[in-house]
Amino acid sequence: MTIRRLLPGFLFILMLGGCAFFERTVPEKEPVFAYPAADSTMAAMLNSYRPAMERRMNRKIATVNDTIRFEKPEGALGNMVADALRDRAAHELRQFVHVGIIGESSFNLYFEPGDLTLGLIYEFMPYDNHLVVLTLTGEQLSELINQVAAIGGAPVSGVRFQIDEEDKARGILVNSQVLDPERKYRVATSSWTANGGDVFPALWEASDKKDVNISVRTVFADYFRIKSELFDLTDGRIRR
Amino acid sequence: MINRKSFIKQAAALTAGTLLPLHAGERLLHEFSGPKLTILYTNDTHARLDPFPENSRQFAGLGGIARRASLVKKVRAQEKHLLLLDAGDVFQGTPWFDVYGGKVDMKLMSEMKYDAMAIGNHEFDRGLDGFAEAAKKAGFPMLASNYITRNTPMNPFVRRQIIKEMEGFRVGIFGLGIQLHGVVERELFGNVRSQDPIAVSKRGVDSLRNFHDCDYVICLSHLGYRYENGQTDDITLAQSVEGIDLIIGGHTHTFLDEPVLVENPAGKQTIITQMGHSGVRVGRIDLNLTGSTENIPFESRFYLIDGKTGV
Repeated sequence: MTIRRLLPGFLFILMLGGCAFFERTVPEKEPVFAYPAADSTMAAMLNSYRPAMERRMNRKIATVNDTIRFEKPEGALGNMVADALRDRAAHELRQFVHVGIIGESSFNLYFEPGDLTLGLIYEFMPYDNHLVVLTLTGEQLSELINQVAAIGGAPVSGVRFQIDEEDKARGILVNSQVLDPERKYRVATSSWTANGGDVFPALWEASDKKDVNISVRTVFADYFRIKSELFDLTDGRIRR
Repeated sequence: MINRKSFIKQAAALTAGTLLPLHAGERLLHEFSGPKLTILYTNDTHARLDPFPENSRQFAGLGGIARRASLVKKVRAQEKHLLLLDAGDVFQGTPWFDVYGGKVDMKLMSEMKYDAMAIGNHEFDRGLDGFAEAAKKAGFPMLASNYITRNTPMNPFVRRQIIKEMEGFRVGIFGLGIQLHGVVERELFGNVRSQDPIAVSKRGVDSLRNFHDCDYVICLSHLGYRYENGQTDDITLAQSVEGIDLIIGGHTHTFLDEPVLVENPAGKQTIITQMGHSGVRVGRIDLNLTGSTENIPFESRFYLIDGKTGV
């Protein structure tokens, strides 16, 4: 409608302007709406905040020597994060901690060879959940390990077992000893996992829960810093 | 439960644009003869200002606020009446949040001219003062009609609802936050109290419809799409409250490829939608405002923010 109403006037102006009009309609170098490319104004605004972010986040934590992933039934990255939780919990509580566990769904990245920076650790574990220590009975721990087996394996520390053809855990060893249904075990995990964020309902029945009040990001950053050189190594803690 | 019959009936009434690939929908969007309202929306962007790193376990290379801004600019150039909305959890998720506490997100979202956002549980991650510090940078209101924020640092920035008018067509927009106990740590939410979202919505929608004379009501909900344990979710909300036309949801990071239609107590349809998380998708709903305002015809689609797929 609008265009039709304006058309006669438009043509008149066109005649007045002659060839000069066409010269002015040559496509501009920068298209106004660049989608799907990034908007340059917005990108420039974001980049103005980047140096301060990078100054803090580019700090090197460790060297990654291989591509390191979460894998099924076990992967080097899963083993490391579960070990990190268990080691740190023991250190903080000054008590032996039997098991470490966390769901791999909490993690955003796998590691590629190169520098592991603080920023990458924050991307790797984007949430500020706390390290917590739960007390489980041997029976509950056996249930937990079977829940791990049922999903084909998950990041665990302190236990070794085999997943059989019916996705059940066989030959469970806890700290190199046969699992004792009668005794109690301390299990380190993240507050998110303990509160129902992962798929391990056995954790929700814990008789005791201690919040160690340290961010799991700090736990992982410190663990990788001390380890310093990271490799794609597994130890067969979960086997098929 | 979702009313199957109503869903099928409505699906047939929708134009084929909903079901066609991204490019094919374009032509159909311009066939409306009367005024039209376009709604673009995001949820749970979680500080994802840059695209996902290439070594991400999911969504490698997707997302990025500069690409989202580019899309919004393009659609703004094409559509006269546009609302840009977010259903909460802009905070937390990348190093940007660790360094800037959400201030950069608020600044850039204002630049994109967001009309409103809901308050998500992660908006409490730096406490009420942290929220206020970031919210100062926001040129748009934060909506949470079921949070009582009196005498807290959050109060100046939170509103229950807003009303937008376009050529006489009045759109009421209200926000709902998730219950704080058990979701947010006590010392973070301080003296903010959360109320039952259903009771608050019933009162709020009634006021928007009958006192403020709104033709269309949108809820920005951070309740979550659906739970098995009886916790209030978007489905329950839609089934319990009449007068809500559209629920733009968040929290559960649910990718709904197509909106879900629920029959509300008045026997009309309530549309529920949610765009996963991290801004890897931007949702779009176009309302055809010709004719009656009874079950306004709409089209729905989403854009994948991959830097490759055009409009």
